[in-house]
Amino acid sequence: MANVLKHLPELEGMELGYIQGILKNMDDEQAGLFAQVYRARRKDSQMVLILALLGFFGFAGLHRFVLGQIGLGILYFFTIGLCWIGTIVDLVNYKSLAYEYNIKIAHETLSMMSSTNSSDTDQNTAPSHEA
Amino acid sequence: MKEIRNILMKLPLELVFWPAALMAIMFIDPSHEHHFTLCPLGLAGIEWCPGCGLGRSMKLLAMGDISASFQMHPLGGFAWAVILYRMFEIIKQLKTKRNYG
Repeated sequence: MANVLKHLPELEGMELGYIQGILKNMDDEQAGLFAQVYRARRKDSQMVLILALLGFFGFAGLHRFVLGQIGLGILYFFTIGLCWIGTIVDLVNYKSLAYEYNIKIAHETLSMMSSTNSSDTDQNTAPSHEA
Repeated sequence: MKEIRNILMKLPLELVFWPAALMAIMFIDPSHEHHFTLCPLGLAGIEWCPGCGLGRSMKLLAMGDISASFQMHPLGGFAWAVILYRMFEIIKQLKTKRNYG
């Protein structure tokens, strides 16, 4: 039962609750590893906000590219963020855009950990000569 | 009243915005010379804007006029595909997004 505040103190709101739900089933060591990988890969919502703001200066859709939504990124870029309207919607909505991306990353991290864990346990069952 | 607010809070804004935008596009009359515009560049009196015509292009495509649609804005078909795909993605996420497990 790892505490999310100890491992990922920078999280807020919905994301905090979601990650706490993931860490509930982990011991401290696993949670530490998860936190390391997840922190390296997650996108801060402030970055989404700043990139979306660039849409007012002719570079729209960068936030969509960063969040892995290439199609919408192209559409926003070539239409100045759907004539600013799309940019404004995303400015209102930037937190849930980041949240959506981050829980996807959390699931990826989990599946990566489970795949490496299974290989770890395979090694652990074999007699190891490590100190 | 509280229940209604809860339901509204749970709905992703994008899932309201995209269908509303597509509905609005279906009501566009592309033959109008002076159409209603929200475009800040158009309202400022600048003639050329890379985004303008996209809505009319999408409507023309929905009416089946492919060449006119492409002339109005080349990204019309692309926009339909991307926006519909995005709506599909958001609906797919509705179940997993609330909390873990």
